[in-house]
Amino acid sequence: MTKEKLRIDALHERHTGLTPSLSGSFFEAASVCLNRHHATPVEVEILRGETRVVREVDFQAPDDRMRNAWANDIDTTEAGAYGVSLAAVEAEESLVAVRRAETLTGADWYVAPVGVTADDLETCLRLEVSGLDSGNRSALETRLAQKIAQTKRGKSNLPAIASVVGFEQRAVAIRRVEEKS
Amino acid sequence: MSWLTFHSESEKLAIDAHLAASNKQYDRSLELYRRAAEAEKRALESIDPSKIRTRAVTAVSAVALWFKGREFAAAEQLAYAMLADTTVPEFARQELRTLVQAIWTEAAKQTAGVSFLPGQVTVSVKGGEVVTGGAPLDLIVDKVQTIQSLFYRTIEFLQGVAHRRAGKPARELQEACRPWLFQAAPGSYQFSVAIQKPAQIDLFRSEIEPSRIASYFLDVVGASASEDVHRMEALVPDSTYRNTFLKLTRNLAPTGKTFEQIELRGAGEAKPVSLGIDARMSINKNLRKPAENVQAVPPVEEELRGTLRALDLDKDWLDIVVDGVSNHVVGLEEAVDDVIGPMVNRAVVVRVTRTTGKLKYIDIELAE
Repeated sequence: MTKEKLRIDALHERHTGLTPSLSGSFFEAASVCLNRHHATPVEVEILRGETRVVREVDFQAPDDRMRNAWANDIDTTEAGAYGVSLAAVEAEESLVAVRRAETLTGADWYVAPVGVTADDLETCLRLEVSGLDSGNRSALETRLAQKIAQTKRGKSNLPAIASVVGFEQRAVAIRRVEEKS
Repeated sequence: MSWLTFHSESEKLAIDAHLAASNKQYDRSLELYRRAAEAEKRALESIDPSKIRTRAVTAVSAVALWFKGREFAAAEQLAYAMLADTTVPEFARQELRTLVQAIWTEAAKQTAGVSFLPGQVTVSVKGGEVVTGGAPLDLIVDKVQTIQSLFYRTIEFLQGVAHRRAGKPARELQEACRPWLFQAAPGSYQFSVAIQKPAQIDLFRSEIEPSRIASYFLDVVGASASEDVHRMEALVPDSTYRNTFLKLTRNLAPTGKTFEQIELRGAGEAKPVSLGIDARMSINKNLRKPAENVQAVPPVEEELRGTLRALDLDKDWLDIVVDGVSNHVVGLEEAVDDVIGPMVNRAVVVRVTRTTGKLKYIDIELAE
């Protein structure tokens, strides 16, 4: 039986907050990260608490131009993690990126249910993303716990959803962080 | 015109600015960030004040965009105005305070009368004896010195300079690329390091991009602490340089006694390179890769824990005092000045082998 797909390409067609150029950039970065450890297509596990779903990801085998453009490991892992996380929350939580707001060190993405017009950010979930190039399942879980703690810390900007992508592990861990969770 | 219209315009301009910066179109990126900031400021002025979260996020976004567009006066003015507003929630106040401090640091750099290479690195030290805004002086001096050594080594490596075992970098390099220390945003103990731009940029070989130094420095630190030993081999193929980078990064990593974590973050990077107590184990794994010519019966290794009292790299020896007794260790061929020099008169662990009464050096690391 063929596995359901996790589409990391053309994210802008479903995520209204993304532009085609940024969507292409996330796809390229995710492809470079996955290609470091795997060949396309690759099965990826999506973990949400006790729930575990396996989906198949098609990615682009990078050429020299792509590899040179994404030579910085930190930037690539971060952008790749955004691409995979957005695809995962879309597939499993029916949430899409609708808005973005700048911060000192980058930008926060806000997600909302598919079909909802986000006229403001009052009920949108802030997406907290992290990526691990290598490391085992325990490293992925530790990073998710750190992300959740960081998201909850102080009087944080909640509600939010934390997502950690392990490229070598072929896994995405997702957890909602609500006001009272 | 509504918040949505202005914010959407700002989002698109900010995305384009980010992509322009990724493509090294820095002037265009600055211009786009400024236009994005203008649109975000209008969005802020259009928002219904009852939408507290949206207003707070928009305010932070507008200040951040002015900051990224290097319009520090506009960023500072808006940040103060929002901080004076008691309805702004705490999460946004924290972000605004952090932005204000970043604005001060950048403004200080502008008035310092020297230019800096792109890619300032912010360092934060956490846990143990470290408190917010304060840390033991010797700890910080030691870490700053190690970071300076790592920066010089990175520049030398990228320039293709032969590996230096003793002494300081060439004077022209020290004078042209001096690392500067700046106060950084609050949170544990933080400081940022920027490299002064050389007066003559052709000091760098034509194929080396000066803006790459900070990101290469961070890649090296991250790869040194990675469990994947091949990552460091790919990044630094020269084994002498690789060993020096690994040992300098180990000097930077915590033992857990005085502090527990050090994080290094490049300008504009959301994710820091983090060294915890376990980083030393990964670095040692990288350093202790099996030798190619393994002896049939390898000599037994010993650990000497004591104070490093004397050192002569020219004559390849060191003296370590253990429980009041001085031990003479020879064969320091692999030791380099900027790794071992700062350890004199400090608690160290020296790994040695003992053959016919002679102690032969393998490795040294800080014990404190």
